[in-house]
Amino acid sequence: MKKLFLTALILGATTLFAQVAKPIEMPYVDYPMAKGDHDEVAQQYCLICHSWGYVLNQGKKSRPYWKGTVQKMVNEFKAPISKEDQQTITNYLVKHYGYETTSAH
Amino acid sequence: MKHLNRRHFLGAGLLLGASTLLGKELPTKPIAIPQEYVPPIIAFPEKKPMIAVSDRPPLLKSAKGRELFTQPITPNDEFFVRWHLPDIPTFVDLNTFRLEVKGEVNTPLSLSVDDLKSKFEPTEITAVLQCGGNSRKYYKNVGPATHGVQWDHGAMGCAVWKGVRLKDLLEHAGVKESARWVGLNGLEKPAMEETPDFFREMAIAEALEDQIIVAYSMNGEDLPYLNGFPLRLVIPGHFADSWVKMLTEITVLDRYQKSFFMDVAYTVPDNDCECVVSGSDFEYKRKPIASMKVKSVIGYPSSDTVIKKGSKVKVTGVAFDQGKGIKEVMISLDGGKSWSAAKLAAENGKYAFRMWTYEWETKSKGDFSIMARAINRIGNIQPQVDEIGWNAGGYQYNAVDVVNVKIV
Repeated sequence: MKKLFLTALILGATTLFAQVAKPIEMPYVDYPMAKGDHDEVAQQYCLICHSWGYVLNQGKKSRPYWKGTVQKMVNEFKAPISKEDQQTITNYLVKHYGYETTSAH
Repeated sequence: MKHLNRRHFLGAGLLLGASTLLGKELPTKPIAIPQEYVPPIIAFPEKKPMIAVSDRPPLLKSAKGRELFTQPITPNDEFFVRWHLPDIPTFVDLNTFRLEVKGEVNTPLSLSVDDLKSKFEPTEITAVLQCGGNSRKYYKNVGPATHGVQWDHGAMGCAVWKGVRLKDLLEHAGVKESARWVGLNGLEKPAMEETPDFFREMAIAEALEDQIIVAYSMNGEDLPYLNGFPLRLVIPGHFADSWVKMLTEITVLDRYQKSFFMDVAYTVPDNDCECVVSGSDFEYKRKPIASMKVKSVIGYPSSDTVIKKGSKVKVTGVAFDQGKGIKEVMISLDGGKSWSAAKLAAENGKYAFRMWTYEWETKSKGDFSIMARAINRIGNIQPQVDEIGWNAGGYQYNAVDVVNVKIV
């Protein structure tokens, strides 16, 4: 009897919160990544924490900008990227999503 | 085309200034004009199809653009979305979900959503939620494009929030003498343990202010999942960064805890203008952003609208500030030479969008810049486009809003 009552309660609760009674399904977006220049390294590390949408949204950026951004991922967000791979990712970003310059932007 | 219009109204003087500022930015090699990436429009749970800047973490803005700001309340299914960390639970079980109030309190609390609804006095407030980086793409009018998601005006909305006063929760738990700060944390988690959590803090005096609520309802419904179901903090008049979503922990602290999301992200230069010479990177002493700045946004028409000569245009938009109240919204149709007052709709509480309209009889053909400029009751006024102080993070953009239209 007690068990039945409990079941009814739970069912009641489920109806009340029907909106979230089951997990939501998050769509996956296949943001395009430029091929070549070791895109697999960028894929391996950058996509651990965020979609490629973050990169596409920035527009073209300078080498110092991308270098600083990769460093921020390592220093602040603790991305486990070796020095060599940081360089590879920076080069890839500059080549496909940036430009060479000496200024910060 | 937009460039030409902008130059047209800013005038030659600024152009000179701008080229000096931008001089050091010129790349050493000529580059092709970068094509802006256009993100896809996708329906996320409980949302209409929205522009998906990112899916992980989710960053969404309405596909309607400015049109969203022709109404006083932003619908839940079009409300912008911005998370910081990739691991967000896709299911919250209200039977086990608890909000903890702990730390420097006499009686720690562990409350279900039902407890909040049944044991505390409900309160309601209409308030603007605006990302600190909203509109930051327009900083490139005065300097280099800043760091961060290049939002247009899409990272804001206004909703009716219902919930429990944070003050009531803190008083129920009994704040100890030693309390100085209140730490806030929710269910979004990083992919790696070492990554800093999305942890936010506010001074105890502020946390005890009447208008701050732990909301369980948005526009009369449960909060949409992507806007922080089941609970989110609401800090009227403040930028969105401390409106923690899926709020689970309120920790009263005896001292400030340094953290990435308080001390590094969401910061502006710690000086009077909260700005630096454009182009300088983050090499400055910083402070967290907090109160919003007075702002107006044109909802209609949008840029590049073509209007037939002789038609009456009802220029419409919203204005808001940190909660002092909007005093006036001024409209210019001649590039800022002359201004006339827009008609303000009734105030919907001091933290909400204030709607305004301006009837424009289009008498001559040509290109026109419509500008909107708000002033609040304590005399804060939006800076002109070329006057706004730049910061590397691109936060708190609030310059005069501009749309360019063509009368034919």
